[in-house]
Amino acid sequence: MDAEQNIADDPAFQQLLATRSRIRWGFSFIVIGAYLGYGVAGLYFSESYATPFFGSSMPWGLVMGFCIIALSVALSIIYVRIIGRLEAKNLFAGRPN
Amino acid sequence: MGSSVNLSAIIVFVGFISLSLFITWWAAKRTHSAGEFYTAGGKITGFQNGLALAGDFMSAATFLGLTGLAFIGGSDAMLFTAGVTVSWAFMLFAFADRLRNLGKFTFADVVAYRLHPEKLRVLAATGTLTVAIPYLIAQMVGAGSLIEALFDIPYLAAVLIVGTLMTVYVVFGGMLATTWVQVTKAILLLLGGTTLLFLVLSQFGFSVDALFDKAAEVHPRGEGIFMPGGLYDDPISVLSLGLAFVCGTAGLPHVLMRFFTVPDAAQARRSIGYAVAIIGYFQAAIVIIGFGAIALLTGQTEYVSESGQIAGGANMISIHLSRLVGGEVFFGLIAAVAFATILAVVAGILLSASAAVAHDFYSRVIRKGEISDADEVRVTRWATLFIGATAIGLSVFFKNVNVGVLSTIALAIAASVNFPAIFLVLFWNGLTTRGTIAGGITGLTVVLVLVFLSPTIWVNVLGNEVAVFPYAYPTLFSVSAAFLVTIVVSILDDSERAQVDRAAYSSQVVRSELGELK
Repeated sequence: MDAEQNIADDPAFQQLLATRSRIRWGFSFIVIGAYLGYGVAGLYFSESYATPFFGSSMPWGLVMGFCIIALSVALSIIYVRIIGRLEAKNLFAGRPN
Repeated sequence: MGSSVNLSAIIVFVGFISLSLFITWWAAKRTHSAGEFYTAGGKITGFQNGLALAGDFMSAATFLGLTGLAFIGGSDAMLFTAGVTVSWAFMLFAFADRLRNLGKFTFADVVAYRLHPEKLRVLAATGTLTVAIPYLIAQMVGAGSLIEALFDIPYLAAVLIVGTLMTVYVVFGGMLATTWVQVTKAILLLLGGTTLLFLVLSQFGFSVDALFDKAAEVHPRGEGIFMPGGLYDDPISVLSLGLAFVCGTAGLPHVLMRFFTVPDAAQARRSIGYAVAIIGYFQAAIVIIGFGAIALLTGQTEYVSESGQIAGGANMISIHLSRLVGGEVFFGLIAAVAFATILAVVAGILLSASAAVAHDFYSRVIRKGEISDADEVRVTRWATLFIGATAIGLSVFFKNVNVGVLSTIALAIAASVNFPAIFLVLFWNGLTTRGTIAGGITGLTVVLVLVFLSPTIWVNVLGNEVAVFPYAYPTLFSVSAAFLVTIVVSILDDSERAQVDRAAYSSQVVRSELGELK
């Protein structure tokens, strides 16, 4: 408990925490915002959602949907990489308890 | 359908069952301690667990249900498929590290970390069972009807086969068997789905444009199928549906339990990363397959009547489509894969329900943790047997229940009871035991009351004219209510326990970010 309390007060830990929070909530906000925005906007721009995407037959609405899926996958891969790198620095490993 | 039971279906069907029983036998020799039983000893690798996680979520509801939904609702199916993918990415960003670092066997370990352990375990076990039981019954009733239609086996026998097999997997093989059955099925489903996608596209000379042109040409609504709003036409319904996915998925006990089957947080992240990629691919494929079904099945009166009635119900769309594009052999393969899908998913849900009863409730609350490892495993096996038998009984009794309603309730409860508790315990230092309990009870009550008053029960089941609560999903209201009550009660809480709860947050954060200090 004491060791954990010491780390909690350590400025280096607080900085790590701030970095991780920014990534965590930033990424979450992007995917959830894009998805809910896409869903609600579809109700008001349903005509536009149905128009073909640049000369193809696939409608805009579906193209955007596929993009949200791709975005979720891409950000997930980036997240795993970034956090892995942060962890590799391992600022707090080997500290005496 | 009747006499169309074909050889390829039986070969895959029997092959899968034999393989799964072999896996169970192999796993049983390696499953002795409680840790091995609940989490396969934490020795599953990130990639294996990613496949198993994706498999947990690619249930019959996703594969069969969403293709049917795309057939009926056109573009609106994208709300579901994109929602599913987003919810998994969110679970990775927000939950993966902290849950893995704090928990041992179940998500209850996490909420009980700094709050009053016994009280929170009772709440979490309730949250688990109220999600797992309806979900289990929904899957089993769906399986029973599907197998009845596909293989001409009576409903009762079908439910008995599914129920007995899932119970055998879990009782003898625990998490290790459940995981490998799930991995096997995930690979089969990915192969089957990809082949179906390939065959559907081959009908259009591999031109996606041609596929969409044809779909708009033959559908009675024409290009209207590309317009959103066919299924849900108001923002509250769309937001509620979205929240059901985003919060509900992150509150499913059988999914959360998988976080603990890997050695550390890094592997937990990787496994969910793999799961997001697999699920994203599969969801995108389902949308194309769904529009392919519109293009190919519309007007084929053998499968879909003039008035749009689908033979065997909307869940049969992918099955019909596989027969149309792949002939009898492929149809048999897909049918057998659908069966394997259901079997693997129910086993995972059963395991989570057993862990809630035996680990959270019996070992930690009744025996207060003073129980030997061997005893805990024995209790879990009996609990599995009992829950398995109960689920079989209930599935026979509720044969005619609407599977969609049950799944909705399960997901809404996961979103409104489990999600707020986990989210706030991880990220809010002000959370107290009293607030969590009050919020959990509120979430559960609001879900049950609103679903009862919604069109799904008030109109469709009870036969009233107009629903008191007009929306299909209660989540926007129930999740908000649960969060609000939890926060307000926590702030007002001036008990001694509340001070303990709040004071423990900072060391919990260290543990949840860095893992156990060595």
